[in-house]
Amino acid sequence: MFVSILRQGDFLIASIHTALDDTELLRFQEDLVTQIGTSRAQGIVIDVAALDVLDSFASSALRDLAQMARLRGAATVIVGIQPDVAFAIVRLGMELDIHTALGLEEGLAYLESVTSGNRAGGSALGALRGVDR
Amino acid sequence: MSAGREVIDQDARLDGSDGLAELTGLIRRVVAGRVDSREAVDDIVQETVARLLAASHRLDGRAVGPYAVVTARNLVASQWRRADTGMRHAHRLFDPRAAVAPDEALLEREEAEAIRSALDRLSPREREVLLAHEVHGRDTRSLADELHSTPGAVAAQLSRSRAKLRVEYLIELDREPPTGQCRPVLLSLSAGDKRRQSELDAGYHLLDCGYCAALSEPLFDRRAAAAPDEVRVAVEVDADIVVVRQRGRDLAMQAGFSAAEATMIATAVSEIARNIVRFARRGEVTVTVATDGDATGVTVVARDAGPGIPDIERALEPGFTTYGGRGLGLPGSRRLMDEFVIVSDVGRGTTVTMTKWRR
Repeated sequence: MFVSILRQGDFLIASIHTALDDTELLRFQEDLVTQIGTSRAQGIVIDVAALDVLDSFASSALRDLAQMARLRGAATVIVGIQPDVAFAIVRLGMELDIHTALGLEEGLAYLESVTSGNRAGGSALGALRGVDR
Repeated sequence: MSAGREVIDQDARLDGSDGLAELTGLIRRVVAGRVDSREAVDDIVQETVARLLAASHRLDGRAVGPYAVVTARNLVASQWRRADTGMRHAHRLFDPRAAVAPDEALLEREEAEAIRSALDRLSPREREVLLAHEVHGRDTRSLADELHSTPGAVAAQLSRSRAKLRVEYLIELDREPPTGQCRPVLLSLSAGDKRRQSELDAGYHLLDCGYCAALSEPLFDRRAAAAPDEVRVAVEVDADIVVVRQRGRDLAMQAGFSAAEATMIATAVSEIARNIVRFARRGEVTVTVATDGDATGVTVVARDAGPGIPDIERALEPGFTTYGGRGLGLPGSRRLMDEFVIVSDVGRGTTVTMTKWRR
């Protein structure tokens, strides 16, 4: 598969490793929404650093994914949007109204901050940094 | 009577089947003692018996046995000599020419036939010059002198003749073209004549005519090798969208665009290619390096033979969609590129041509 979904504490980290076509993108959407339930995740980070192009379809798919995740009770953050891709998204006239962060670490920090009130488990960011709790 | 029978047995007379069987057994023992191969033993025994029978009328009863043994031994000896000679001369029998498979010969004949017919379709003058150059090795200069022309003009004519020959050869191996448009379109593709191709709307014809689409493949292969500054991708499924936008980006980078601009071009290509998959099912996208004076750019042409767009003005409005999408495809692509032209005939298809110039 071209996407890996890893569990990190209460969060899921989904990394897209290569350009996805529309069908693959929709399958990814479905897989991730299903996994929110099976792993009882509070938040998801989607790493799109490997995507060379985020066109209207891909951004719609990400936006819809965030909406679906929200309905399942999980917060979503997109990380790793490349500067060239950012240029193209703006020029295309798209509004990518999803939370974004520069990298994985910032993304996890964002999820920590928005979910800290309702979480019972430990700090995924801490685990990632290797900090003992 | 019993004594008489004994005599006959001892003399191994050849007229009784018993006697012959006993004699054959003797011969077999003699031969088998000297020859390994069972087949060779059988052969020699048979040959010995045949000679024995042929000579039987002049043989005394008592001489039959020894005669058989000597004959058998001689035959063994001569058989060995033959085998030995054969082995020593075996190398002379080797035929260095590769065996020609029968179907290969047939294909070769068909091909030769096709080339001959294709040559027949050239004008006598074209044929003469082409053969003089290709077969007899005459150079363009001497041909030009003879024809009161210039080497450049002769070379151009040769190239046109070759293009025509390629097309006629391919037609000859297939069947006669289904429409009158086919031959000129194929010819313009073979010659790589861009102006003539756009005059004939060759791209549209290729989408519309399965015959030309199939026949033009080898012509494109050849031209693709000659023209690296062109990307041409048939678009049918959504995986093709990824392929064409990646190759479009590579070409843009190659043409000197920045990574950000190349991404914009790739995004526009992605949007336009998706429209083909979504609305027309089949089409093609070509990305070429464009030049206008000092300016260098990239031109993207997306062509399909789909249903066409009834109201282009509305299709270009941001947010207008017929399928519940975001309505960003066409207006977004227009924003990403510098030039954007869309031509659509309802029921005939749509062609989008867009160019971005390097800053």
